[in-house]
Amino acid sequence: MNSSRLEELQQSRVERQPFSFGELIRRRPETITAALLVAICIIVAIANPAFLQPSTLVDIGRASVVMGLFALGVLVILAAGGIDVSFTAIAAFTMYSLTVLVQNYLPGLPIAVILMIATVGGALLGVINGLLVHHLKVPSLIVTIGTQYLFRGFLLSFIGTVWIMSLPPQMGAFGRLPLLQFESANGATITLPFYFLVLPIAAFVTWLILNRTLMGRAIFAMGGNANIASRLGYDLKKLHIFIFGYAGALAGLAGIIHVCANRQANPFDLVGTEINVIAAVVLGGAKITGGTGTVLGTILGVLLIVVINSVLVLVGIPSTWQRLVVGVFILLAAAFFVTRQRKK
Amino acid sequence: MSATSNTQQASGRFLELRNIQKWFGGVHALRGIDLTLDLGQAYHLLGENGCGKSTVIKIMSGAITPSAGEIILEGEIHSAMTPIQSLSAGIETVYQDLSLLPNLTVAENVALNEQLVSGQGRLGRFFDRKRLKETAEKALTTVGLPNNGTFLNTIVSDLPLAARQLVAIARAIATRAKLVIMDEPTTSLTRREVDNLIRVVDRLRQENVAVLFVTHKLDECYRIGGNAVVFRDGQCVAQGPIENYTKTQIAELMTGRTIDSARYRTATPMDGELFSVRGLSATGFEQLDFSLRKGEIVGITGLADSGRNELAMAITGVAPARSGKITLDGRHVVIRRPADAIDHGIGYVPEDRLAEGLFLDKSILENEIALILTRLSNRFGVIDKKAGRETAARLSEEMRLNTKDLDLPVGSLSGGNQQRVLIGRWLSIEPKLLVLHGPTVGVDVGSKDTIYRAIQALAERGIGLIIVSDDLPELLQNADRILVMNGGQVVAEFEAEKATEDQLYQAMLTSKLETTQ
Repeated sequence: MNSSRLEELQQSRVERQPFSFGELIRRRPETITAALLVAICIIVAIANPAFLQPSTLVDIGRASVVMGLFALGVLVILAAGGIDVSFTAIAAFTMYSLTVLVQNYLPGLPIAVILMIATVGGALLGVINGLLVHHLKVPSLIVTIGTQYLFRGFLLSFIGTVWIMSLPPQMGAFGRLPLLQFESANGATITLPFYFLVLPIAAFVTWLILNRTLMGRAIFAMGGNANIASRLGYDLKKLHIFIFGYAGALAGLAGIIHVCANRQANPFDLVGTEINVIAAVVLGGAKITGGTGTVLGTILGVLLIVVINSVLVLVGIPSTWQRLVVGVFILLAAAFFVTRQRKK
Repeated sequence: MSATSNTQQASGRFLELRNIQKWFGGVHALRGIDLTLDLGQAYHLLGENGCGKSTVIKIMSGAITPSAGEIILEGEIHSAMTPIQSLSAGIETVYQDLSLLPNLTVAENVALNEQLVSGQGRLGRFFDRKRLKETAEKALTTVGLPNNGTFLNTIVSDLPLAARQLVAIARAIATRAKLVIMDEPTTSLTRREVDNLIRVVDRLRQENVAVLFVTHKLDECYRIGGNAVVFRDGQCVAQGPIENYTKTQIAELMTGRTIDSARYRTATPMDGELFSVRGLSATGFEQLDFSLRKGEIVGITGLADSGRNELAMAITGVAPARSGKITLDGRHVVIRRPADAIDHGIGYVPEDRLAEGLFLDKSILENEIALILTRLSNRFGVIDKKAGRETAARLSEEMRLNTKDLDLPVGSLSGGNQQRVLIGRWLSIEPKLLVLHGPTVGVDVGSKDTIYRAIQALAERGIGLIIVSDDLPELLQNADRILVMNGGQVVAEFEAEKATEDQLYQAMLTSKLETTQ
């Protein structure tokens, strides 16, 4: 009769066998994302069976790569309780500077090295973010708004504003290199490009870091409560440098892939899409206040946004409606997550 | 050979603080602390709020750097320590705020730090998931928590407070600690959980671990035994075996003045029923009946799961009752929200004043007048600042705040003064009934005294008071009657003047079924 609360706790935990939908959503909010994604696909497929063609799926896959890489970086920063809006500027900076460099000075540089330089360059710019956030003790939103202007301003003032239409050949070739190639029913060739592979690899690496390394747990610890994490011996400076450096690396990589895929380098590109990316991560169940988020959810969130952006046209909804739909989804998902959390 | 037997039997010196000084800006918080801690010993760091206890703990755990002085850790002299240094030397701290990471699982909170510390804080490596699970299971079993997989994977923010407190303790003992510091570890634990904690402490001492307690609960200190270390104003004023001191002596050492431990309640209730509940039910309690006269003080106690908290919240509209009738001043009142209770003149001083009651970064003035802003404002919604200031000054005077500066942020006050600000705020609406939930939790002896006097003064004005509390001496000293709840029922009622702590404990621990059989 007099069982203490803890004994009750023990019992209730064991007894809680019946499947609880609310509990599932609370612990795995990406279920909602997955459900939305499936629902949209079903509706679109019924309205226009052309959606189910392999070519559409390949398109979606191709369109997810750059946004997916950005989103993984944002996930890591959100999980640590920060936010980054400068990653698009980092991507634009690295991709354009590197294209200029290769075209004018190092025409023979192999693509593998180019990709590596892009990643390292992005990481360095990210580390600047990390150091500023740590030492200025200013919210990362403000710091990265500042560095977004800084990186972009530097790019446009000192590197160039010319739209490069003809890429160095090895970069163009990388953009066209097929991973899968097959003929569709109407005889057209469908290609899943090789660079698509980068996304699942990056997703796996991010998952590994977040869930299996001490660094990953430390990232969530800092996102849960930075003061406590520091008191427990987590080095916040290392963490700041790592998360912003990692997001920068992914952004640099995403930038160069963006160039190769589009076969042109536009210095005015990418910047302005960061809200879209943050929206995808939040739709994937990461809390904007930090401390939560999963790689699976992030990828689902990215797919959801990409699907909305690319398939609404298929069912005859004007493309101007995309924003409307994305906005409604974000509000719906947010409302859903929040009410679920409050119920507890 | 003699060396090994030495380390096993005679407990060596572990940590020594020499002439530690600490300034915070212009405040001289520690004025030369000398303290030695030996392995296998228990220490009770006692002192009023603001005497420097927390600062000393933070210096030991590496969270802050002393301004001057030496820390001698296992023979090595340091001028300051980092958290990782302190942790890898085997100093584990259970902080008052528990310092748990709310978004991580129980297992991660308990056992991840061991791996962090053993790697000297290096982050770029995989952690050992098997070891994580084993360490967590072992530590959780020791403190009496479940160790099944479901519990290990529970997110800490989903746990009740008592379980979190035990999880924090489990983390401290998960490593091979040499010194475990516990800052008010028992505030949210029931008696049974405290008993279990005391067993854990005994075991730690047998394993040659030094344990340093910071607590306001003197009874527990005597039960655990060991050495008392008394701080006052940043200085150590006494140190020695705790049994050499009486409670009164310790209280006097802490405050530097004589404390009267006699009954505060001298007046008697006035005639006429003020408040009653009939057949009140909510989650946690069923069909409760009781009443209160004007100027009467009723204490309600029971274990944490007895329904006493739920009762307090039902009366005040925080968690409204499902059914039943509440009468105030002869009129039937319906309370569905806190605003209803306030409109009827029922005030609630919650247990967790920091989270539920006070705006910490706002001034005393703003906190005191928070309930009467509508009354203070004219028809354009502009607040009459002068009237507000006068009211706040009067309330602070009445509650004997130790500062006249109404613009100080409440967060800068001591726990006792914060509580007085909170009670003072309710006086601004001239309440008929005030429900106080744990009014002196985390408050030092000196402040307790002032709060008790204030409570008595309220009763003498005809205000009815319900004190929901764990602190039995508090109820015995202050109340007219004490209701003991158990399993959602009132199982016993005592006249406070004649009751004893033992009687109350008996009633708290014996279930209704057992008493009727």
